[in-house]
Amino acid sequence: MLSMKKIQKVYRTDMIETHALHDFSIDVTTGEFVAVMGRSGSGKTTFLNVAGLLDTFDEGTYHLDGQDVSRLSDNEMSKIRNQKIGFIFQSFNLIPDLDVFDNIDVPLRYRRLPAADRRERIEKAVRTVGLLSRNHHLPSQLSGGQQQRVAIARVLAGDPKFILADEPTGNLDTMMSREVMDLLEKINDSGTTIVMVTHTPECASRASRQIHLLDGEVVDLNSLPPENADRSSASLASTLQ
Amino acid sequence: MLLHNLRIAWKSLRRNVTLSVLIVSGIALGIAVSTTFAAFRHAFSKDPIPQKSDVLRYVRLDSWDPLKPYPGDDPSRPPTQITYRDMQGLMKSTIPVRQGGMFVSNFYVYPDPKVGRPFRELTRLCFSDFFPMFDVPFQYGSGWDRKADAGPDPVVVLSQEMNHKLFGGANSVGRTVRLADRDFRVVGVLAGWRPNVRFYDLTQNQIATPENIYIPFNLLRPMQIRTNGNTDGWGTSGASGFEGFLQSEVCWIQYWVELPNEKSAGAYLDFLNAYVLEQKKTGRFQRPLNNRLSTVSEWMTDAGVVPKQATAMLIVSLLFLAVCAVNLVGLLLGKFLARGGEVGVRRALGASRADIFLQHIVECELIAVLGGAIGILLSLGALAAMNAWLKTIAARGGFFRLDLSMILLSVGLSLAAGLVAGIYPAWRTCRLAPAMHLKV
Repeated sequence: MLSMKKIQKVYRTDMIETHALHDFSIDVTTGEFVAVMGRSGSGKTTFLNVAGLLDTFDEGTYHLDGQDVSRLSDNEMSKIRNQKIGFIFQSFNLIPDLDVFDNIDVPLRYRRLPAADRRERIEKAVRTVGLLSRNHHLPSQLSGGQQQRVAIARVLAGDPKFILADEPTGNLDTMMSREVMDLLEKINDSGTTIVMVTHTPECASRASRQIHLLDGEVVDLNSLPPENADRSSASLASTLQ
Repeated sequence: MLLHNLRIAWKSLRRNVTLSVLIVSGIALGIAVSTTFAAFRHAFSKDPIPQKSDVLRYVRLDSWDPLKPYPGDDPSRPPTQITYRDMQGLMKSTIPVRQGGMFVSNFYVYPDPKVGRPFRELTRLCFSDFFPMFDVPFQYGSGWDRKADAGPDPVVVLSQEMNHKLFGGANSVGRTVRLADRDFRVVGVLAGWRPNVRFYDLTQNQIATPENIYIPFNLLRPMQIRTNGNTDGWGTSGASGFEGFLQSEVCWIQYWVELPNEKSAGAYLDFLNAYVLEQKKTGRFQRPLNNRLSTVSEWMTDAGVVPKQATAMLIVSLLFLAVCAVNLVGLLLGKFLARGGEVGVRRALGASRADIFLQHIVECELIAVLGGAIGILLSLGALAAMNAWLKTIAARGGFFRLDLSMILLSVGLSLAAGLVAGIYPAWRTCRLAPAMHLKV
């Protein structure tokens, strides 16, 4: 589903160069549920932006769903984001002026789907996340958990092959977090690939695989030299706390 | 998608009412000023008789002094009117389907003593073709016939206002009006004829309303009627008195012909040239051949109907609108860039740059349309004030109007202003890097 080989991403200013991703390689197979962990500054956000075609990279290759997406135009990337990728954000990122129905409708409109098809997809998605009665509520009238469920419904309505979740439970209490994770598991069970960035061991444990990022690279904690492993483990532990 | 974008734009405007009012006001002010001055100019320039402006031709002949050109800005232009002798010569042509000379005079009107005291009134002397040639509408009766021209019969056509003044607005056809020392039989009453510009006689106050009384031209000899309009002369006939005036080189008659097509217009110009060449043999028309057969719009241009100041003010007002639009660029840029987070989300959800650009341009155009609507209302107020002012100096109302063409122009200007104000902010917004503005 997702294959990155030797990805390099460097942020440059007049003074310094920051290697956000360095020889970064990862393979995620179709139907996997992968948890990505790492301390702050380890390159998680850059990885998500590159994986979600929200940002470009300097070197390496990236195949998504069998297609080389390394050098696509902005329009082509928009199309892939719209049709193949679903985003779930820590801060939900619902549009405050739009009610639940219209928020879920946003990506479907960009796909130029007919109104009847959009309505059917939205109602099905809202039913799946259990918010059918809140169709015309504004985000400000919903709890955090409900907002995240709307964001998940927005993803579900688009029926993507691949979901990128960035700390989906980061702003939720324990009970709400469990509900959201249950939903993600259910989606993954239906065959959708999920890559989730999380700091929470409980959430990470529900993924089928965990990978760790350190200084822009994927690391196997067991294969690291003791001092690096200690540093990484310590930073991971401190982050997890 | 357009309706969806309009809905988003409306919500966006309601999000920050103060800023929205400020932006809409900027456009409204620019549109109000530009629409007012566009309507001001249009009042002078618009075609007063669009259905016939191409078949009506105003005739000018250069019978002027061989030693110097006719005075004016352009020395190549012939006199604006023709002599009585030339009118008689031109009337012999059978090429025009309608034709006639005309001039304005001043008569004492003697109403029924129960109605009021005698008063002086401008009266147009013209031929029977005047009324059908200019599509003059009638409330009662009609114009007189060619037999009455030849008579000449003492018949009169009254304006609606004059009929109201003399007969209380009743059907006065067949009744008698005393003008100067004669009784005239009313044959027709006009139905509120109000061309914007008095195009048939541009030699005097061009925006005055048409005269209230019309009588046959040929009464000028038996009644020895002198013109009350402009006269331009350079040579006498040698004869004295009224007959001497008629035979002189004084130009005082406006002459119109109706030529249904270009072929007849060409034939008539040949006739004019032949007429002048014939006159040259008698010692007249010593200047180079310079006959003009102008359409209504050509004649209006030559006569300088549109004041130069009106054009200058229109240009200044359009520049003002441009300044208003450019000033809004900064406000719109700030407003749109503050929405970077939402743009990031939309881009993540699949919006292309074009989608984002279109969304923001639609918002700018919604602002422009709202501003344009308010601007048009303000402009209506300004035009009403200008009409009230004109009524005090030219005794006519409703001269400045917003007709359909002006409203369409205002809408077009509004949309253009919206585009000028919004194109850069919308472009900058659609170029925002989604990853940089996405709140994670």
